[in-house]
Amino acid sequence: MAKPSRSKLWFLVHSWLALPIWIFLFFICATGTIAVISQEIVWLINPAVRAQAPDADTPRMGYQALMDAIAKQEPEASVQRLSWPEESQFALSANVGYPGARFTSIYVNPYTGAVQGPALSFDLRQFMRALHGWLLIPFTNGYSWGWYLVSLLSLPMLASLVTGLVVYKRFWRAYFQKPRLRVGQGARIFWGDFHRLSGLWSVWFILLISVSAIWFLVQAVLADTATTISTQGVPAVVARDEVPTVTPGQTVKRLPLDEIVAVAERELPGLETQHVFFPGNAYDPITIAGRGAYPLMFQYAKINPYSGKVEELRRLSDRNGLEFFTESMRPLHTGDFGGFWLKLVWFFFGLLLTMMSLSGLLIWTKRTAQATAKALRPARADRAAAREVTE
Amino acid sequence: MSKTATLAPAAPKPSFWRRWRFHLSALLLIVPIVYVPSYFENLALSRGLMGLGQRPAGDVLVGPWKLQFAEWKVEPPKSDPAGMVKTFTMAQCAGCQDQIRAVYLRVGKPRSLRAAGSIFFGSPHRAFATVPIPPRTAPDADLWITAEGWDGSVHQAPWPIATASPATVEWLKKQGASR
Repeated sequence: MAKPSRSKLWFLVHSWLALPIWIFLFFICATGTIAVISQEIVWLINPAVRAQAPDADTPRMGYQALMDAIAKQEPEASVQRLSWPEESQFALSANVGYPGARFTSIYVNPYTGAVQGPALSFDLRQFMRALHGWLLIPFTNGYSWGWYLVSLLSLPMLASLVTGLVVYKRFWRAYFQKPRLRVGQGARIFWGDFHRLSGLWSVWFILLISVSAIWFLVQAVLADTATTISTQGVPAVVARDEVPTVTPGQTVKRLPLDEIVAVAERELPGLETQHVFFPGNAYDPITIAGRGAYPLMFQYAKINPYSGKVEELRRLSDRNGLEFFTESMRPLHTGDFGGFWLKLVWFFFGLLLTMMSLSGLLIWTKRTAQATAKALRPARADRAAAREVTE
Repeated sequence: MSKTATLAPAAPKPSFWRRWRFHLSALLLIVPIVYVPSYFENLALSRGLMGLGQRPAGDVLVGPWKLQFAEWKVEPPKSDPAGMVKTFTMAQCAGCQDQIRAVYLRVGKPRSLRAAGSIFFGSPHRAFATVPIPPRTAPDADLWITAEGWDGSVHQAPWPIATASPATVEWLKKQGASR
């Protein structure tokens, strides 16, 4: 028997990498693709999430004015966090707690300050993330084993990409040729063309997704072995003697939110304030976080709410090279760092990737079916011959 | 040569395994289905739809303030880089928010405010504290609550572990037995 050629061997490796797990892979790709646009789906379902500017000239309200507006409409609510949307068609969300330990998000119109309503009790975005990221398996002791199961898929995915490029003879030439997607010549031809064409143009995307997912795997291993590679120190606290003491009946003086945000934006030039985390107790500073010139990473300032003193800064320049890589992985995986159109790009390539696991299977079964038919044909011919002889 | 003899070996029926082997990973999709109820249960807990925690642990009067406590999850202490730890939740009395500066929790009576233990973190309606539980703690020992007012006053109260978390008492008893 002739030795199989090297490319044939690579082809077999390529086939076998995803074939035995194709349904699981398909499911993870499909749920991830939906997760990319889950916020937009919520926008379609829940009118409270939408916020259009009344007209082009209406500015957004100030930070403290928004807080006052919330306090007036929801006097019982204790606001833990404010988050401004990435996209202008969304309302800002406030995480609030009510007496009786009920917690939810409420949506606030950034132009009028009107509380437009609470989040739906079914949080689609969180559900899709949990389904895609860890198969809903809870994190009880360290990372969920679902997280491991999903992130392990990154290895066959990356290997599929590499072997796929190896078996695609001189794939780079295809970039300069007319794309070929033959319709009407049978399913086998169509799915073969589709698999090659979408693979060819998704190389960057598959690389991003699989490498970032490998990082998710490494991240879990590091966390579960209590290994840290972060340059981040222990969280800052407000010194005991800087927390005011007041006589009973007096209220504690805190700076207006706009002043605190101004301090943060002065200390972190280019900061686009996106999240405000309110103190969790009297010794906890207020945290102002947002993106800056490099959209993949967050910067934050922790500020003394009584005096405006900067307690801690986390700038881009505080990160080392490794952290630039690791911290950029998540946004690159989710595509949530550049607004709606970027998300659509991620969604589109996510769809292609989902279909690649299906088309891979279809090619295999069609080819196997043909091969089986071919193998059976001589047998049938024999049978026909035998029939002729006996009749 | 008979007809049947020629026909018999022609088409062996593919076995179940051959037919389905590439689709068996579909069985993995049962996993998320199995976990749907616990996912929504956890969600209800974190949204406070089940109250302050999995098990209400009663009110404790600390100085002038009535604080409501709960065991976040009914389970023995969990391993953590800080040792074996247990998480409790606390809600302040209505209107106490402007009076209480901070609340702390630890096993055994603190010698000073600096050693008052883990500080509660969160909202006045539900704050969390994760407390180290030394395995050598006597099962009938007390947790101590320290509350500090905005006026600088400090109040303390004991809180039996037996009231706070029977699951922790069970665990401590086992620790004692295995020692």
